[in-house]
Amino acid sequence: MAAADTLAAARPPANRTISWLVFAIAIALIVATPFLPNYHVRVLNSLLIYILLGIGLNIVIGYTGLLDLGFVAFYAVGAYSYGLLASPQLGLHMPFLLILLVAACLGAVTGILLGIPVLRLRGDYLAIVTLGFGEIIRIIINNLDWLTGGPQGIARLDKASILGIQIARPIDFFWLLLITVLIVGTVVWRLERSILGKAWAAIREDQDAARGIGINTTNAKLAAFATSATIGSIAGAIFAASQRFVSPESFTLQESVLIVLMIVVGGIGNIFGIVAGAAILILLPELLREFAEWRILFLGLLMISLIIARPAGIVPRSFGPEKLIRGLFGK
Amino acid sequence: MTLVFQSLRKVYGEVVAIDGVSTDFAPGMIHGVIGPNGAGKSTLINMTAGSYTVSSGSITLDGKRLDKLKKYQIANSGIARTYQNIRLFDQMSAIENLEVCFYPAEVAAAWREVIWPPYANAQRRRRREKCMEILRFFDLQGYADVDAGGLPYGRQRMLEIARALVANPRVLLLDEPAAGLNHHETAELTAKLTALRSPDRIMIVVEHDMDLVMTLCDSIIVMHHGKLLFRGTPSEVQASTDVQLAYLGTANDIDDIRAAAQDRRAQLGIRARRRS
Ligand SMILES: Nc1ncnc2c1ncn2[C@@H]1O[C@H](COP(=O)(O)OP(=O)(O)O)[C@@H](O)[C@H]1O
Ligand SMILES: [Mg+2]
Repeated sequence: MAAADTLAAARPPANRTISWLVFAIAIALIVATPFLPNYHVRVLNSLLIYILLGIGLNIVIGYTGLLDLGFVAFYAVGAYSYGLLASPQLGLHMPFLLILLVAACLGAVTGILLGIPVLRLRGDYLAIVTLGFGEIIRIIINNLDWLTGGPQGIARLDKASILGIQIARPIDFFWLLLITVLIVGTVVWRLERSILGKAWAAIREDQDAARGIGINTTNAKLAAFATSATIGSIAGAIFAASQRFVSPESFTLQESVLIVLMIVVGGIGNIFGIVAGAAILILLPELLREFAEWRILFLGLLMISLIIARPAGIVPRSFGPEKLIRGLFGK
Repeated sequence: MTLVFQSLRKVYGEVVAIDGVSTDFAPGMIHGVIGPNGAGKSTLINMTAGSYTVSSGSITLDGKRLDKLKKYQIANSGIARTYQNIRLFDQMSAIENLEVCFYPAEVAAAWREVIWPPYANAQRRRRREKCMEILRFFDLQGYADVDAGGLPYGRQRMLEIARALVANPRVLLLDEPAAGLNHHETAELTAKLTALRSPDRIMIVVEHDMDLVMTLCDSIIVMHHGKLLFRGTPSEVQASTDVQLAYLGTANDIDDIRAAAQDRRAQLGIRARRRS
């Protein structure tokens, strides 16, 4: 047993420096944001929305191992929930929190509706069918003029307010999004560590063996689809409220691909990986705006070198929230 | 409590893999299943565990029909198995491979784990302790936090048996547990399996290692071309000319059977090693 004991002892200690560095950067960014010009705050808001989307999609792709290319559909469901329930379009003006709840429920239902037909599919087949689903939702929205306003979309959405506090300026949305990301991130992280999260991992590793230990893979997968879609839909509702305008253009296949890319580049199956992926794919293009067309070339090269240098993503799977907490507070 | 096969058949297109097998397995005993390659041993295990459907006939445990259930329901009826080709959750740690087996019993309270950290911590600690105990039984405690896919081949075989034991199954199906193990590891395996014999557990072991089968098993069934050729104690099997013929065609000595089995084991060993 000597060999085994050494193995256990050789487990690397929590990395203090990296943990504090990550923590300090995050705090500095948060503290500085209120003093940034509106344009920069909007970029950060867009970053936070993509982080939210990434956290949602990662449940299906990273934890459960199912390549879903139609995630943007749930984002659209949430956005149009707000668009229809808080605008002159149908003459409805529901409160923001209520719409958030409706969007979450609608998201879960659509998630399950998509989940049921694709339960038997994996890999490429699943990717193609979910891709089709995403496109179908977008095309329906595009053609249902009387309800969704078709390609023109819906404008003049209500200003959001929560318990009488108006959420209108970019900085208001920054706080709203930050709190949402923290809550959703914590819930998802705890889900991943729960027995359900372990079952998702088992399905990802070997679906048939997972059934062999008594996991009802149908239910576990539908739970993954539903949770993921709920988060996508919540992100959509907040997005619509911040834009005060929705149109089908925001929900193209390109968006789904971008979110998948974020997850893969950042580190699949890891919440911090998503933050890193979003930073590279959302922030960098903004920072490089002045270089115009060169920026696409640069991003392409960066993507290629990252995938060659770190095929498993920038952040290792093992550097999750637990590691950060342990690194910060010892043990 | 018994596991009963009745007129069991399995056909894959043209191939009849299991051809009318009727037998039963009593608890408290280790049942060996032997027979040449392609005899249908794995198919029996796969049908019992629900990995394959049954073409006709029935499988019952305590009079309860198993063959109409889904695979996960069969597992939750107390059937656990290992695979001829190891199937662990490679990118999960050794202990996680066991912990996830608590899913059927505990998924209903998963939401509490999410919203109430003290509950989640208590659950995790309890699960870990229980699984650690099983790992300790297999001398795997030092590997608890190592990814299953990174374990040495012999440890993977042990871990797969450990995983099958978490739910304290009434029926334990082992498909060639010694395949690819060296002498030392096989001896270790024999000791562990002997210790696992329990009055209310049915153990069924498919194996090519004749020494292992003869020392371990209380009762042996011999499969040949999908049919149950012979059933008896180890000494009865060794004495049976039918069995010798089945294995070799022209055998007149148990040593020939062993030699043939040894060959087969050597082949398997090469294949298994290559995999890892
Ligand atoms: N999935 C399958 N599809 C088609 N034929 C199969 C399949 N599994 C097993 N067989 C066939 O069924 C017969 C019995 O196989 P198996 O049960 O694996 O034998 P054993 O485990 O005794 O070596 C063999 O002829 C084999 O080729
Ligand atoms: Mg076999």
